[in-house]
Amino acid sequence: MIHVSFSSSKFTAVAMASRKKVLLKVIILGDSSVGKTSLMNQYVNRKFSNQYKATIGADFLTKEVTVDDRSVTMQIWDTAGQERFQSLGVAFYRGADCCVLVFDVTAPNTFKSLDSWRDEFLVQASPREPENFPFVLLGNKVDLEPRSISSKRAQQWCQSKNNIPYFETSAKEALNVEQAFLAIAKNALAQQNSAVDLYNEFPDQIKLTYAQKPPSSGSSCC
Amino acid sequence: MPTPPQISPVEDQERHLHDASGVVKAQAFQMKRALDKSKLMDALKNASAMLAELRTSLLSPKAYYELYMAVTDELRHLEVYLLEEFHKGRKVTDLYELVQYAGNIVPRLYLLITVGLVYIKTNTALRRDLLKDLVEMCRGVQHPLRGLFLRNYLLQCTRNVLPDSAEEDGDCPEGTIKDSIDFVLMNFAEMNKLWVRMQHQGHSRERQHREKEREELRILVGTNLVRLSQLEFVTLEKYQKLVLPGILEQVVSCRDAIAQEYLMECIIQVFPDEFHIQTLTPFLKSCAELEAGVNVKNIVISLMERLASFSQRVEAIGTEGTASVLRDVKLFEVFSDQVASIIANRQYLPIEDMVSLQVALVNLALKCYPDRVDYIDKVMLNSVEIFQRMGVEHIESHSQVARELQKLLKIPLDHYNNILVILKLKHYAALIQHLDFTGRKSLSIYILYSALDDETIIPSSEEVEQALTLLSTLVSDKNDPPTTSLDMEELAEEQCLLARFIHHFKADNPDDQFLILTTSRKILAVGGPQKIRHTLPPLVFHAYQLAFRYKNSDDDKWDKKCQKIFQFCHQTIMALVKAELAELPLRLFLQGALAIDQIKFENHETVAYEFMSQAFSLYEDEISDSKAQLAAITLIVGTLEQISCFSEESSEPLRTQCALAASKLLKKPDQCRGVATCSHLFWSGKSQATNGQEAHNGKRVVECLKKGLRIAKQCMDNSVQVQLFVELLNHYIYFFEKGNDQVSIQILNQVIIKIKEELPNLETSEETEQITKHFNNTLDHLRVRLEMPETDGVSYEGLEI
Repeated sequence: MIHVSFSSSKFTAVAMASRKKVLLKVIILGDSSVGKTSLMNQYVNRKFSNQYKATIGADFLTKEVTVDDRSVTMQIWDTAGQERFQSLGVAFYRGADCCVLVFDVTAPNTFKSLDSWRDEFLVQASPREPENFPFVLLGNKVDLEPRSISSKRAQQWCQSKNNIPYFETSAKEALNVEQAFLAIAKNALAQQNSAVDLYNEFPDQIKLTYAQKPPSSGSSCC
Repeated sequence: MPTPPQISPVEDQERHLHDASGVVKAQAFQMKRALDKSKLMDALKNASAMLAELRTSLLSPKAYYELYMAVTDELRHLEVYLLEEFHKGRKVTDLYELVQYAGNIVPRLYLLITVGLVYIKTNTALRRDLLKDLVEMCRGVQHPLRGLFLRNYLLQCTRNVLPDSAEEDGDCPEGTIKDSIDFVLMNFAEMNKLWVRMQHQGHSRERQHREKEREELRILVGTNLVRLSQLEFVTLEKYQKLVLPGILEQVVSCRDAIAQEYLMECIIQVFPDEFHIQTLTPFLKSCAELEAGVNVKNIVISLMERLASFSQRVEAIGTEGTASVLRDVKLFEVFSDQVASIIANRQYLPIEDMVSLQVALVNLALKCYPDRVDYIDKVMLNSVEIFQRMGVEHIESHSQVARELQKLLKIPLDHYNNILVILKLKHYAALIQHLDFTGRKSLSIYILYSALDDETIIPSSEEVEQALTLLSTLVSDKNDPPTTSLDMEELAEEQCLLARFIHHFKADNPDDQFLILTTSRKILAVGGPQKIRHTLPPLVFHAYQLAFRYKNSDDDKWDKKCQKIFQFCHQTIMALVKAELAELPLRLFLQGALAIDQIKFENHETVAYEFMSQAFSLYEDEISDSKAQLAAITLIVGTLEQISCFSEESSEPLRTQCALAASKLLKKPDQCRGVATCSHLFWSGKSQATNGQEAHNGKRVVECLKKGLRIAKQCMDNSVQVQLFVELLNHYIYFFEKGNDQVSIQILNQVIIKIKEELPNLETSEETEQITKHFNNTLDHLRVRLEMPETDGVSYEGLEI
């Protein structure tokens, strides 16, 4: 088995990623009843229910997917839209690889809250490069009338936020859900690859690797 | 030595968390490296060391949660590795036992859960037994904080593997929904016990702090309920028979107020409405059994609000099955009974909470059963009974109870937008009585605004009576604060609202309308002068309109009825006179005389004469201000000029009386103008003697105008004098053009000369300018007439301009 050699960190990342299953952490945020749980259920279980059940705290489902020929385990965190159901704080934001913002295209207030959800995420998750952290915006419930947020308005918002990808979805009719989550996975993967060199920031990493290099190089395959 | 404080001060929290996170990072790194090299035992050792950080007692719940997140994020790597190895066919069967040798129980159980999960995923035949095993083994950690998080990890890890299939006969090692329910319910019960136990640990002076921490930790306990609600095979039947009874049993028996209040709310939020409507009775029964400190009101209200909006959604979407369930369940009756029993059985429930519950009931009824006004009335009655039982009267207007009660009273008004529906509520008026005067008054004003906005017509005397009774604070003087403190402007504003409202009293049938008027007057008459001056005039105008309606109807008794109406008006106006008002009744009498003249019922001449003479006597006895006098006499003359029903024997004294009154005005200019106005009575005035035609008594006209000239000459102020001359000239011209042969060119020339003589003597001023302009305009008119005489008009030949 290979391990980190003295070669460039980029090489390391690619080598590790191609060999090992990637674990991606995705957080879904948005006001209550915009359909966060429904989107996740539609994507993971391909199921939808009209019944309304509030989410309490945060909880994830996993889904195995293949992105660009890579096997990926997506850990999708569904969160409570109501603050009172988040009594322990939002420690689960940490280590996220992508943040999905959701609003309801028929409820203007849920669109207005997007800025505060995004800001709150950046503050609490404190990613290394906040300006480049991948977000994806989903305008959900496009099956419902009347619409109050046009796709142009949503796109303008996305442009103003460093070109966030935007998808119009319907969890109920499984519209665009698959495509949206694929984009989410790709963005998350790109984020993780760029962040992998974090490993090299460990001061003792090189030393340890160096010390144990001889036995591990034997099984090197590339 | 006493037990050391469990939780370190806030400033130390960050440091402890930072230290622990450092260890976690380092151990996680080593673990992942070991995994990369397939050194599983090393990796487990590192994982164990990382997990050992979770044994800390130094962290607050929030900080512990952060640490827990960091650790479990890393554990996921171990899980992924193990799964892959298993898939590759690697046998690690002894792993489950191997990890049990980890030295400390906390790391041991975390590892056990992680490994157990991998087992379940790879061999579903072990699922049922392993789940049972894991949930039992977690009992090993009895420290509340550590135990709660450990069980949360168990709950999180097993989310994807809980059996979610229908129950089967016979043995099913993979497990069924029944096993999942048992698993989560047991985990829930254990977590709740840990959570409740926190309350009883440590010093009593730290109670507040402890309760805050418990509040933070509650979502961990609630997540169990979320998990149950996520299971697809938790059908309504399973929910009714297993899930809800299991949860409620735990909630009620734990006898902890914080837990009870939160978990009840949690049940409402996480389970769907379709379940709630079928389980109202057991749920609400449990509510009644909760501890004294539990805010049952909030729980019940939150359920009612949720179901009310659910009912509206169902109505909107039109899902027939659910809609019929909603009808069968009799939501209102169930809630109404349970609310009553909660109010009856719970001691120390504040009155405002009792009223809030009624507010929620009204909202529920309005949203789910918009047609059932009787439901609203039942709530009103319930509320009245509560106040009576508690002996509460005159609720002070700024109190919490008053605010809730106002809300209760306004909701039906806002919903129906129709005061008539409110009047149908038998107990609404009685409930209002429990407010104090200020409260009742502000509600009355709210009711008025609402009725005016909706333009609701009040169509019967019964409803008028009920409406005015509701508004009694505005109608009667009985409870008014002493007049000195009265803000007159405010009072006038309120009374104007009431007056506008009175204009909406309209019956379809004239007889009913008359009944409305007599009823209204009886009620409104109790108000003092400041009130009736606003409220009676609308009645008088209503009555005049009604008389016209009768005249145009085919009612064969219209004549008698009109007499009665004017009698009613007379009395009503006299009531204003008694209230020491003068100008207002004078105008109302004149308006009445005009109406009578046009309606011409039997005996109308006598009645019209009475109205005119009443106006005169008011003029003579009550109006003393000279300006008001001139205005009044002008109105009287104008009215008299319009009326044609008088015989000569009535009209002659009236005209003379007018001329006399005009000449007796205090100021000369007023006299002059009054007399000049009177001149028209003798020209265009009509009477029976002239067969309703204009009198055209040229001689009397000229006498009046001559008298005007005489009076004008007596004016000391030149400017005023000239102004009056110009005005008189215009009167002369009017009559000349109308063909009054008593007005000659000669007279016109005389007046013109007189004005021309005097005008240059006036000092330059704005007034003089006005007068000159008026005069020049008059001359311009004459010039035009002189040059281009109208074919059938009089000739101005000989006029000297």
